[in-house]
Amino acid sequence: MARESFDKEIQFLRLLALTGDAYNRQQFAARLGISVHTYDKTLRYLKEMMNANQQGLTSEQDMELSEAIRYNHYESADPLLLFLYRAKSIKASEGVRFALLLSSMREQALTAMELMDICSEAMPADYPVPDEKTIRGDLKYMEEIGVIFRTDGKRPFRYRASTGLVDALSEDELIDLYDFVDILANTQIPSVQGYLLRDTLKKALRLRGLDTDITESHVYKYHFHSRILDEAHLYTIYQAIEARRKLTFLYLSPKKEKRYASKNTNPLFERESEGIWLTVLPLRVIYDHQYGRWYLIAHQTKQGVMKFRMEGLTGVELSDAVTAEEFDIRLAHAERNLQQSWVIDTMRPIPVKVRFFRPEGSKHDFVRERVELQGQWGTITDESETTFIYHIVVNGITEIKPWLRSFGSSCEVLAPSWLRKEFIAEWKEIQSYYEPVREDL
Amino acid sequence: MNPFEKIFNYQILSRLDETGAFALTSQERVWLKSMLQLEAAEHAFTPETLDKLHTLLQDEEPFHLQHIIIEKGRNKERHVYHPLLRQLRRFITGGQGFRLTMKLKHGGHKVDQTGIPYKLEYSMVKREWYLLWYGTRQHSLMSTKLRNIVEIHAWNLSAERAAAAKARLFELLEMRKRGALIEVNPLYNVELSRVLSAFSCFDKKVSYMEETDTYRIHIQHLADETEFLLSKIRFLGLRVKVIDEGYMKKRMLEASTKALMRYAASEPLP
Repeated sequence: MARESFDKEIQFLRLLALTGDAYNRQQFAARLGISVHTYDKTLRYLKEMMNANQQGLTSEQDMELSEAIRYNHYESADPLLLFLYRAKSIKASEGVRFALLLSSMREQALTAMELMDICSEAMPADYPVPDEKTIRGDLKYMEEIGVIFRTDGKRPFRYRASTGLVDALSEDELIDLYDFVDILANTQIPSVQGYLLRDTLKKALRLRGLDTDITESHVYKYHFHSRILDEAHLYTIYQAIEARRKLTFLYLSPKKEKRYASKNTNPLFERESEGIWLTVLPLRVIYDHQYGRWYLIAHQTKQGVMKFRMEGLTGVELSDAVTAEEFDIRLAHAERNLQQSWVIDTMRPIPVKVRFFRPEGSKHDFVRERVELQGQWGTITDESETTFIYHIVVNGITEIKPWLRSFGSSCEVLAPSWLRKEFIAEWKEIQSYYEPVREDL
Repeated sequence: MNPFEKIFNYQILSRLDETGAFALTSQERVWLKSMLQLEAAEHAFTPETLDKLHTLLQDEEPFHLQHIIIEKGRNKERHVYHPLLRQLRRFITGGQGFRLTMKLKHGGHKVDQTGIPYKLEYSMVKREWYLLWYGTRQHSLMSTKLRNIVEIHAWNLSAERAAAAKARLFELLEMRKRGALIEVNPLYNVELSRVLSAFSCFDKKVSYMEETDTYRIHIQHLADETEFLLSKIRFLGLRVKVIDEGYMKKRMLEASTKALMRYAASEPLP
């Protein structure tokens, strides 16, 4: 069976999270490279999922998807994009069976035969009663993913739901655990597993009869929530790096208009694919906190070190392995190249010298505080009562430039002189954006 | 560790809900196990609970996924957890008022402040925790860094007063909302994804005008977030322009004019 790919859903949700309802159906479909019909179908599926997911959590029914995904700081810390990970398709009967099996094994340890009896009694009439093979298959799967465990080694094996982590805790301890998971999932990466656990614990708290707003005490300022969509590829990349295997994928540069390319089975209608198929050796991933974006760092025979935005990866598959020696050489080389990168730039290192000014009329030097917090490996030297100098050697200037510019008039570039000139030219142009138009008399 | 497991499917989830059961996978436990290694865990639990959790998770495989990740552009962390969080979150859910003493920015203490808590807020930029609360003396919305709280005790107020304070708090929060309208310079439309990513941490709406191929971003923020928003706009440089008249526009003109004066002061501009 072909592996189910969520590329379309990922790109769909990302475009929706970034642009909201800016586009109409045709425009949205065109940008994703899908038909309007596929657009409608995908939207319906996502909405259905969202509504099912929110059951019992909010009273708002049938909310527009774009509205639901809209970031609302003080209303909810629920990461709505998480429902991407709830999209794996199943048969309706499977859903009923899994729920029945798990709730039975929560009470006591049971054998496959006992579970079969329970199913034949309790399965709703519209679904077929499962046979022994099906039950054994389900148990094998659930044991593999750790949802159940074998209670002892004696045949016939008895299985129980692995909910000990939750059951062994008092109410107060469970609240502490929920908070811990909530906070760590929101502030650390990777976070998808944390968010999934957060959902599970939320449910456990509800089952203990605790009020739903018990989970609403923490909020997080300035989240890049589409970051959790990129984590979809993280696991495959991790597997590849661990096994030193290459990855093959179709890379669609996010700078292109189209964000996804549907695979048409009829070759007559096959469009010229806009992306490029690549095979590379993955080495590391980089998370950029400034934009909340992920990058894949890889090596390719012809190009050397290559960097990809994770959001451009589609159709990711594992390929051939390389030797440990080769992997180590490539990794060391990439790490050397990236050592002085503000984010991922591997251009030649350039010394940059900048003067920062203390904020006027404020006792608190928030400029210095910010440079200390964000200035990475740069060094600070005092210059005068009102100024200090910041030095850094950085690979290329494109990535540090926006950061320097964000300080506005509190920052003056001293060297290199061409960068100084660039800043002057840019500020002139920005000034022209805002200057009142003078009328000639 | 595939996050796309069948068991996470939304239909199974709602079926489980109906039966009062839940599925706890090993990947969730393994993630938790690795997070418990962080220093934050010591402040999050009592020592007994932490021991209990370590025992419950002892058979889980270690998690190495973090080893392949390099974080860039991250602010230095003050803390992920603060020792006061546990107590304050219980004040919040219990609707418990408090009396506190806090450190002032420029030295000295402010004692005997009374209020009711609203939320605990973590700033991903400052990398530290704040308590958002309503000051019953000041009659205003307050935001206090947890590290500036010297002392805090429960303080009881009548149910009516608490309800009135809460209502006032929501009014104030509403009053602090501001809007900004930003246009993406169409010359930079190829970088749209970068621009929108930069603003994706705000409550925003995007509109698109096909005739001129122009995007506009309507941002809703709180008054005290204006400075952060301005720094984002400067960060993006020529790519974006504030277009609604008012404070933000004035500030952008000020920043560019003053920046040019700084450069002219060290050497005359060409």
